[in-house]
Amino acid sequence: MQHDDVIWSVLNGQFCSYKQQKTKTQLFCSNEYNLTGLCNRRSCPLANSQYATVREEKGICYLYLKVVERSHYPKKQWEKIKLHESYVKALKQVNEHLLYWPRFVRHKCKQRLTKLTQYIIRTRRLMLKQTGQRELVPIKKKYERREKKHEDKAFIAANIDRSIENELLERLKKGTYGDTYTFPVTAIKDSMREESSDEEEDDVDEEVDKNGDTESEDEEEIEYVEDFQESEASDIEDINEMEYEEEEKEVQRPAKKRQLEIEYEPGTTTKIKEKLRQRHAND
Amino acid sequence: MAASRPLVSIYDAKGQPTGKQIALPVVFRAPIRTDIVSFVHDQMRRNKRQAHAVSNKAGEQTSAQSWGTGRAVARIPRVRGGGTHRSGQGAFGNMCRGGRMYAPTKIWRKWHRKINLNQRRYATVSAIAASGVPSLIMAKGHSIENVPEIPLVISKDVESLRKTKEAVAVLRKLGAWQDILKVYASKHTRAGKGKMRNRRTVMKRGPVIIYNADHGIKKAFRNIPGVTLLSIQRLNLLRLAPGGHVGRFCIWTEDAFRELDKLYGTWKTKSVRKTDYNLPMPLMTNSDLGRLLQATEIQNVLRAPIKRQQRRKVKKNPLKNMSLMVRLNPYSSIQKRRSLAQIVKGRSTTKRTNSKNKGSFATVTKRETTKTTTTTVKSSGKASTTSTTKTS
Repeated sequence: MQHDDVIWSVLNGQFCSYKQQKTKTQLFCSNEYNLTGLCNRRSCPLANSQYATVREEKGICYLYLKVVERSHYPKKQWEKIKLHESYVKALKQVNEHLLYWPRFVRHKCKQRLTKLTQYIIRTRRLMLKQTGQRELVPIKKKYERREKKHEDKAFIAANIDRSIENELLERLKKGTYGDTYTFPVTAIKDSMREESSDEEEDDVDEEVDKNGDTESEDEEEIEYVEDFQESEASDIEDINEMEYEEEEKEVQRPAKKRQLEIEYEPGTTTKIKEKLRQRHAND
Repeated sequence: MAASRPLVSIYDAKGQPTGKQIALPVVFRAPIRTDIVSFVHDQMRRNKRQAHAVSNKAGEQTSAQSWGTGRAVARIPRVRGGGTHRSGQGAFGNMCRGGRMYAPTKIWRKWHRKINLNQRRYATVSAIAASGVPSLIMAKGHSIENVPEIPLVISKDVESLRKTKEAVAVLRKLGAWQDILKVYASKHTRAGKGKMRNRRTVMKRGPVIIYNADHGIKKAFRNIPGVTLLSIQRLNLLRLAPGGHVGRFCIWTEDAFRELDKLYGTWKTKSVRKTDYNLPMPLMTNSDLGRLLQATEIQNVLRAPIKRQQRRKVKKNPLKNMSLMVRLNPYSSIQKRRSLAQIVKGRSTTKRTNSKNKGSFATVTKRETTKTTTTTVKSSGKASTTSTTKTS
């Protein structure tokens, strides 16, 4: 049933989920009740029916005892004894409770108690410093890399430059800048024309949706212009009509790409960004 | 170790011990032979395999013929005809593209294994015995810190549970829920092609619930991840020792637990359900080697331990080694001293006679002789002489 040697031969030979071979030279035991942290016949808390450890919880050390009699009741297996805050008194307590226990266990418990008290003192000192109050968070390479890529893609997809362009042009049109900026006139007019042509296109599309005839209405509009007398009379009217014709001609043509472009510095865009930009420009 | 049989308490659905207790079935004291379990598990696992093979026509559906020698090409059979890329390409060989593989797999491979009945039973018995040792269950990776007792036996009314909600409540009260939380945490996508072969997720194994009669228990517990249901009539080694490792967390119902003695027998009585079967005998009744070696009965028969081993002694020659000679014959030192003295005496007398003959140089030589003292050691017997001259 509960034969320590049998248990050890199974754990050592076959499988133990607490066995950790992190280095080539040492076998570690990840069982939280292990005294030494090594995977040994003497240190294994599973293969020794009589075992003791010292563990620390929130700055207080406890002595845990395990006996054969309780081996089949996992819930009640460990007897937890609170050790004194004073190190010397705690040592005495350990000696008292492990009086007739094997020397190895007693010695290791005291060693562990020493180490834990030192560690507790250190943590207390550290908590008073600034470094102790800050929480250290590890950098997870995979997540960082992934997030960064997502961000880059989102940035490109957002087309911030485009929206800035629109915003600025709107402001220009509205006249908020007044005469502060001087651009070549044709550039603005082109952009204006494109704006208006887009608008006219929208109107035409709407009409198409309602009636279904595009060509007849265009022809009708052209027919109006064929009155030469009116055109000969005034130059201003000519110009206006000329402009009107040009606009109408533009209506028939398909939508042009924006000619107004802002130059960017050559270094900022990467290949991926260029590709994505081109893709989004086509949309 | 225990001469009398310990008693196991039965727990109700609320995790409280009912007053009832059952004597531990003798199966739990059977020898735990992990080697047998490993072997039988390995063999048993092959029995659920489905045949697979490469098509027997694969790579052979060409009428290729070797071009022979003298054409400045390798002699591999080549596809006949023309007009396609395929013509003139190598065919048939395992090294050729589109050729048959080396040793095409056949369906008449031996897929299943026969295992000796006794071996199979030994393995299940070992697995059950291991499930009664809390250390082995913990080593396997189950969280049983909050379980009240191992082996865990629950009362009969659990067999008639119908709702999974009730089943979950039972597991919680028994302290077994921690193990199932571990199962939840271990769910992940399988690595490899199994993903696209309807085996997408993988997770840990949780407790196995062994019942006698299914009055709803199977349906109540089956949807809880990690939980396996086993009938006591059909105990399966693949469920009791998953992965070939012993020590799965088993939850028994009362009736199932009582069946164990009838199924496997005690050493004193044979099994009732199986014809002519009894539990395997262990090689050692008491395997606590450390304690055995300290026992007085054994210590009395042993000879005293050899703490310091005698090593081979180098023989030294007493005729050369004076200390050894003295050890053997203490008088030899005195003998030697005497002979030495005589030699010295003899030397000095001979020297005086020489100086007398020489006359005028007598005084000079006398002084010389007094100054120079020659000592010759003549030991008795056939020893060699060593002469040392000392000038004062």
